[in-house]
Amino acid sequence: MTISLSDVILLAHAAFGVLGCLAAVWVFVEVLNVRPENAARIRMAALVVAVCMVAAWICGGYWYVHFYPSEKALILAGPWPLAHNLFMETKEHLFFVTAILALLLPIATRERLDTNSAARKLVLCVAALIAITGLTVEGAGAVIDHGVKVALLKVNRQP
Amino acid sequence: MTRATSGFVLSACITVLFNTALACVKDVNAPLKAFLKSVAGHDWTTQGLIDLLLFVALGSIFVSTRISERIDPARLTEALVVAVVIAGLGLGLWFAFV
Repeated sequence: MTISLSDVILLAHAAFGVLGCLAAVWVFVEVLNVRPENAARIRMAALVVAVCMVAAWICGGYWYVHFYPSEKALILAGPWPLAHNLFMETKEHLFFVTAILALLLPIATRERLDTNSAARKLVLCVAALIAITGLTVEGAGAVIDHGVKVALLKVNRQP
Repeated sequence: MTRATSGFVLSACITVLFNTALACVKDVNAPLKAFLKSVAGHDWTTQGLIDLLLFVALGSIFVSTRISERIDPARLTEALVVAVVIAGLGLGLWFAFV
């Protein structure tokens, strides 16, 4: 079995993205049950979200710039060109929204969430939006991966 | 909310909408895409750096000028949700139909 650098970076990108989404759900649940005792844990979880999303950004960005062009050519020549034209194009730009929200979360969680209902609602909304947009981006990644797979299957089936 | 939170929420709203607009405009404007590519080697990389700089710069300006403190916190949260929904639907519909 050979695991290339491209594979490691791509899988790290997806793994950091999923961990960031899970941490956003963690923040959401903690804030639903906010007390003075879990304020530090909420801030730590928010920081985990930001670190994971920045790591996903760096890994994904490096892979996209250095390794994606060959896969893009395969997808566009294959039976699922929309895997690039719709899903990758939307994913690569929607990810910036997730990343900005992830950077906002540690700032918002510095508020006194147990006493400030407006700040609590804001953090709940930001955490939920990170989870929703993050999972949308993850799903788009799966479609892109399938676009490569069906393109390779088509090439291998040709006589 | 503190001025840091309100300032960076307002900054996030603007950055999210700017990111969506830039993605759509560069998609149909080849010279702009080529310019973005020339800055950091890839248009996507440059766009990410612009988004990051815009978020930090606008947030810092709004914090120091206290502009965002005049906006009702509930309205700021609503604006952020609306901006993200516009961004998500806008990007999806743009790349599906344009």
